[in-house]
Amino acid sequence: MTATIPARRRRPGHLLRRLPIWAIVAITAVLVLPPILWILSTSLKTEANTVAFPPVWIPNPLSFDSYTGLFTSANVRFFANSLIYAIGSIVLALVVCVPAAYVATRFRGRRMESLMTGILVLSMVPGVVVFIALYSMFVKTSLINSYPLLILVYTGIICGQTILFLRNFIENIPVEIEEAAAIDGCSRLQILIRIVLPLIRPGIAAVAIFIFVFVWNDFLVGTVLATTEDMKTVQNGIVRYISTGFGNFWASFGAFVIVAFIPVLGIFVAFQRWFIAGLTSGGVKS
Amino acid sequence: MSVTQEQRTARALKPPTRRGRNDRAVWLYVVPVVAVFLFVFVGPLIFTAWTALHETTYYQIKEFSGLNSFTELFADKDLPKQIGTTLAFSLGALAIALPLGFASAVVLNKIIRFKRTVRSLFLLPWLMSQATVGTLWLWFLNPNYGPGTAITKALGFGPTDVFSSPASALVAVTLITAWWSYPQAMVLFLGALQTVPTELYESLRVDGGNAWQGFVNITLPFLRNTIVSVVVVLLMLYVQMVTIILVTTRGGPLGGTETLSMRVFNKTFQDFDLSGASATAILLFAINIALTLVAIRFRRKDTL
Repeated sequence: MTATIPARRRRPGHLLRRLPIWAIVAITAVLVLPPILWILSTSLKTEANTVAFPPVWIPNPLSFDSYTGLFTSANVRFFANSLIYAIGSIVLALVVCVPAAYVATRFRGRRMESLMTGILVLSMVPGVVVFIALYSMFVKTSLINSYPLLILVYTGIICGQTILFLRNFIENIPVEIEEAAAIDGCSRLQILIRIVLPLIRPGIAAVAIFIFVFVWNDFLVGTVLATTEDMKTVQNGIVRYISTGFGNFWASFGAFVIVAFIPVLGIFVAFQRWFIAGLTSGGVKS
Repeated sequence: MSVTQEQRTARALKPPTRRGRNDRAVWLYVVPVVAVFLFVFVGPLIFTAWTALHETTYYQIKEFSGLNSFTELFADKDLPKQIGTTLAFSLGALAIALPLGFASAVVLNKIIRFKRTVRSLFLLPWLMSQATVGTLWLWFLNPNYGPGTAITKALGFGPTDVFSSPASALVAVTLITAWWSYPQAMVLFLGALQTVPTELYESLRVDGGNAWQGFVNITLPFLRNTIVSVVVVLLMLYVQMVTIILVTTRGGPLGGTETLSMRVFNKTFQDFDLSGASATAILLFAINIALTLVAIRFRRKDTL
């Protein structure tokens, strides 16, 4: 594959054939980038300059006030909450899903398969249906608006895909290793912890990334199941500017959006391969 | 791969020493996941069915009312309109995201230089949260200060006041959703495109076929199941879509963007009609089950 590339590149008429490809790239850039550049530009303006018309793309003067102004206790709380939800969900989802994925891969039976199909079907239930039922069920209890409930809900929603993804990794471990360990007297739990777990570390990393991005980017769970401001998430923080905003808030809004996007973008840049592996897990490959 | 397969069958053929008492312990490993699913999915679904069969005032469940909430649901004059909105929204977004996702996957599959940069560019909308995307476009299309308005005004039209009339709001929400979701289709197509054997294209070229013939006779037949899967994945995404609509229009103006899932949300939090919300939720659930069954059917065909 790689050996044929230089030969192909040198072929005459190559540039002309590449033209449609780069045309599509250019069109996509025109469709994708403007709103993002606009929010970046807005975040670097003074509040008074954000409402200039016709719109100015290069901020003048350049101002970082909206970024420094973000450090309010309410905003820090949004970020801390999302971090707690994300880390809690990663831990809980792994504790719940790794054993299930392990036995579902190694001890297949008809009943195990139907259980896994059931889990997969259930995890495709529309989120809004589940959240609203949970809200109505728990609105009068202290469970609503608490870290454990939200972490549990996030975990439930992500479990189906997590198990599917981990199964692919466990399948690739040679059974001989586990059998050798069993002969040496390892119990099933010891095999799982001492042998399987270290071998599926890349899979666990991909799952952790996937869950983090899912929880970080989720808006609906925080909207429905967190009823007070101090339990809301980063995404609620973004929308709060629009829904309750008055006066000039666009620069702060822009700065908040950018800062909220940085963790996801950073993870994407740092772990691109695993990130994409996580993205594809829910789809055609299974 | 085949070795592990043999190992597996060998293991299954092993005398029942490993079975029996020991095998029952296997189920202990799925207890946590079953508990989570009972709490997060099964319980709420039963609760939804229960409330749909009862009268409710606010969040109090009152007396049994049979299928009343369903007859009310299907007698509701808004329902046909909302089903129409759901169809227009879902199929509209699909009609844009599917070809766009496919085209960008083909580009990424062909490209050699700047591959990482181009991939990042293509994935950018998908990396952003739905809430970000909704508010981002709301600000970009702001009728007073947004660059969208500057463009339409320069072209001699009025400001981009898209969210003030039902029809244009629906178009805008659909386009924004397609903008955000096309990379999902792209990622799925890309995975499948890499499995198409390149020798087929080479032999076609030797036989004098052109790129279009290659597309129709090699790429499409190879991707048939993938296309169905992508369609189902996207449709599920769109039928369940709440966040982008909620952030931009809340289902308005005049119910112009109220899809079935927005109806569930608004029935609960605006009308406080839990019973009505539950009946709609069950309708939504039924649509989703149908889509899931299609997905499972084609998933099986894909892997076996």
